[in-house]
Amino acid sequence: MTTILTRRELLKASTAAGLALGAPAILSAQAKEPIPIGTLCPLTGAGGSYGPDMQRAVVAVVERINKAGGIHGRPVALFHEDDQTNAEAGVRAARKLIDVNRVVAIVSTWASAVTLAVRPLCVEAKVFVIGVSGADSVTQGDHKGYIARTQPNTNLQGRMYAKFVVSRKEWKRVAYLALQTPYAVSFGDAFTGVLKAAGVTITDSLIYEDKKPSYRSEVTRVLATNPDLIMLEGYTPDSVVMAKDIYKAGYKGAILGPTFAINAKFIEGVGLEVAEGIWNMDRAPLFDSPAYKEFSAAVPRGDQSPYAPQAWDQMSLVALALAAGKGEVSGTVIKDNLRTVSNPPGTVVYSYADGAKLLADGKKINYEGASGSCDFDQIGDILSAPFSVQQIRKGKSELVTIINP
Amino acid sequence: MPPLAQYVFNGLVTGGILALPAVAFSLLWRLLRFPNFAVSTYLTVGAYVALMPNQGLRVPLGLAWLGALVGTGAVALAVDRVAFRPMRERRPFSLAIASIGVAFVLENVVRFIWSNDFRSYDVPVTRALSVVGLRIGRDQLLILGVAVALMALAQALLLGTRLGIAMRATADNPLLAAVKGVPTEKVISVATLGGGALAGGAGVFLGLDASIDPLMGTGLIISVFAAAILGGVGSAPGALLGALIVGIVEEAGTLVVPPTYKTAIGFVIILVVLLVRPTGLAGARA
Repeated sequence: MTTILTRRELLKASTAAGLALGAPAILSAQAKEPIPIGTLCPLTGAGGSYGPDMQRAVVAVVERINKAGGIHGRPVALFHEDDQTNAEAGVRAARKLIDVNRVVAIVSTWASAVTLAVRPLCVEAKVFVIGVSGADSVTQGDHKGYIARTQPNTNLQGRMYAKFVVSRKEWKRVAYLALQTPYAVSFGDAFTGVLKAAGVTITDSLIYEDKKPSYRSEVTRVLATNPDLIMLEGYTPDSVVMAKDIYKAGYKGAILGPTFAINAKFIEGVGLEVAEGIWNMDRAPLFDSPAYKEFSAAVPRGDQSPYAPQAWDQMSLVALALAAGKGEVSGTVIKDNLRTVSNPPGTVVYSYADGAKLLADGKKINYEGASGSCDFDQIGDILSAPFSVQQIRKGKSELVTIINP
Repeated sequence: MPPLAQYVFNGLVTGGILALPAVAFSLLWRLLRFPNFAVSTYLTVGAYVALMPNQGLRVPLGLAWLGALVGTGAVALAVDRVAFRPMRERRPFSLAIASIGVAFVLENVVRFIWSNDFRSYDVPVTRALSVVGLRIGRDQLLILGVAVALMALAQALLLGTRLGIAMRATADNPLLAAVKGVPTEKVISVATLGGGALAGGAGVFLGLDASIDPLMGTGLIISVFAAAILGGVGSAPGALLGALIVGIVEEAGTLVVPPTYKTAIGFVIILVVLLVRPTGLAGARA
């Protein structure tokens, strides 16, 4: 990761930017009462390398909204809090946003644990929450529609991985090897389900324990089934040990894993020779979309963050959903109008400014964002997302293809 | 299905790595009369002590390994001075709890110095050799060989030298040994130094075989404990045998139970031994 701003620096910078760029907007909005919206990104902790970029994306969208005249003539006022990638700190920050700042929405939560922890508070206070958390439980249960996310759930991820595997005709025997996590089984079921239906043989499904001195016997068992592709669904530290043991055991076939595990740290850990040729996949932004082009021009280094394009879309969607209302500003208006502005039918729009104009004329709109088409189902999960496929070549992960839904 | 022999070999290597801390754990328990749970954290310390020269100065791993033996021994000695010596007369239970505290402190000192990230030694990864259908890695062969040689050395020291005799005398009856003129504190220091060195050396093996992170040793405590109990507390050959058996059962066990239950196998071994033969395989002989 490149240099990361400290929390204080970032808050200072974004406040200054907000003041400088928000000032004319406030004038044009005739000094009406601002609409309070909170961000709850991980500026520190395990998500600390992702949060600052997400927050920058939200700030950039708000600058544009205010420049375009605000929402129903009212400017947006942002309140930033750091969840520290920690559920407890996240709850305290959310309480402050809800009780003190009276926000109507909280955008860009990251860790599933944080989103799950602030969920009951927000549902109770009728505050809308939209984040990038992936765990299936985030949108399950009764949340009355106040929760949504732009990150695919594990079922969708599993199906997209499988779609890539099927598209490569040379892989006919696939082994699924996964770290014991809350999503190992649900991801595996979706992944192997699609493959089996496509006539691919699943030679073995093995879930392994974390923190074991070696995975030789697990590898022995899997390799005995002669796979030509091993789907390795773990985190970086265990994937390193596993990949080394697979290499030592003489395996010459292909390996596929998630990009959040098969990253630069992974390559450093296993060395160039072991890493060579390993495939990895992650949710991709919609590179061709006009929204993505605007996003990447507006957010410095935003193209290097998998989550910043999603944060961009989250803020845009919240603003459009408010604009689709009759002028009332509340979390309920947002949740009631989210699908009206994001899902078909309607004229496709790529930014708040375009969407707000059409809404003012009483037209239907369908927002297509920087991260994808942003269409939501009833529980708040997105229906589809493009995925990018990379392969490690000479120590670098290189983009090979985009798998579209 | 791959041949059972492959699992047995895998288990022998795991057992070889386990054997070193298991022997240290077992001998220190017999000598000081409390289970020192910090022993598994000495593995972590050893792995990081060797990492410093190996990654920073490109010192060959063999040399760095010797550094880890000395360095970890010194850390173990310092821990004994600061934490355990002032508590020498306390009940074993208090000392066992203190050792868990020591393990936490050491683990977090490692985190503080080297961060939470995992690391790897600067050595090339090589493909395993194929010998009569068995896949045998060069590193694994080396690890097993050195572990067995170290065990033999420890056993020879215990049985054949004055120091070893003094150690066994102190273990059997510290009061009587002291009366007879055995410098018990000195004996304890030497044993602590040796135990720390064994565990530290195993830490480097573990780092070489897998990867290095602040929790690497802590994760082994159940297996080390099981090996020591199975071998019989206080017996070096017993601990070696116990470690090899635990290693083999853990690895071959994956044929029967899902691999997610690997750690549970250690618990089952502890339970069965305590129920059936509480003195362990080698009884209480040292």
